Amino acid sequence: MLPLSLLKTAQGHPMLVELKNGETYNGHLVNCDTWMNIHLREVICTSKDGDRFWRMPECYIRGNTIKYLKVPDEVIDKVQEETTKSRSDRKPPGVGRGRGRGRDDGAGGRPSKGTGRGLDDGGSKGMGGGRGRGGANRGGNRSGGRGRG
Amino acid sequence: MSGRKETVLDLAKFVDKGVQVKLTGGRQVTGTLKGYDQLLNLVLDGAIEFLRDPDDPLKTTDQTRSLGLIICRGTAVMLVSPTDGTDEIANPFNQPDGA
Repeated sequence: MLPLSLLKTAQGHPMLVELKNGETYNGHLVNCDTWMNIHLREVICTSKDGDRFWRMPECYIRGNTIKYLKVPDEVIDKVQEETTKSRSDRKPPGVGRGRGRGRDDGAGGRPSKGTGRGLDDGGSKGMGGGRGRGGANRGGNRSGGRGRG
Repeated sequence: MSGRKETVLDLAKFVDKGVQVKLTGGRQVTGTLKGYDQLLNLVLDGAIEFLRDPDDPLKTTDQTRSLGLIICRGTAVMLVSPTDGTDEIANPFNQPDGA
């Protein structure tokens, strides 16, 4: 479970946010983003020493000033559901086809040695990184500059 | 993320309204929001800074100083809230069990 997934799941729930400066904010999470910037509604702000209080209808808090957030326990059940769901959604892992780069290149401008290599690569799905680099480098040594991409 | 950067809070609804801004380092400013950008740089008109107790920089005092028209740098903005409806209140966390 990712911290930000939990936070995202906590949208609509009440929570406590403590800032690095010690102030705390209690409110309902409206929205959050990948920087942990958050938007709270019906907020009660408590000073660091805990003896002054303010209520504000809403507030925006910059993520990098947050020390921690306290979220309701029930949120964890929901985030669990969501992660399993997204796992099953993410079914097709290896279906992507290669990069398509080698073939293009070979057919166009590398008649002698490029073609053979390129087609080969397109066929073998498993080893993405290795083949690209090897082929390109070798080509590059010959033909100067072309192989790098 | 969806298209724009700071979509968490749409500052458009605060334009020409009073906002309270807390800055890193502890300064606290209110003013009328005249403009903003996606980095959270803010333009505040008629800005007033709440001065702090020199002995205890955590506490804002009733003393203020007028800043006029200012640009708040986004990276220094910690918190933005509307001044409308923001009030100091008594302890709302009643502790019946003496917590």
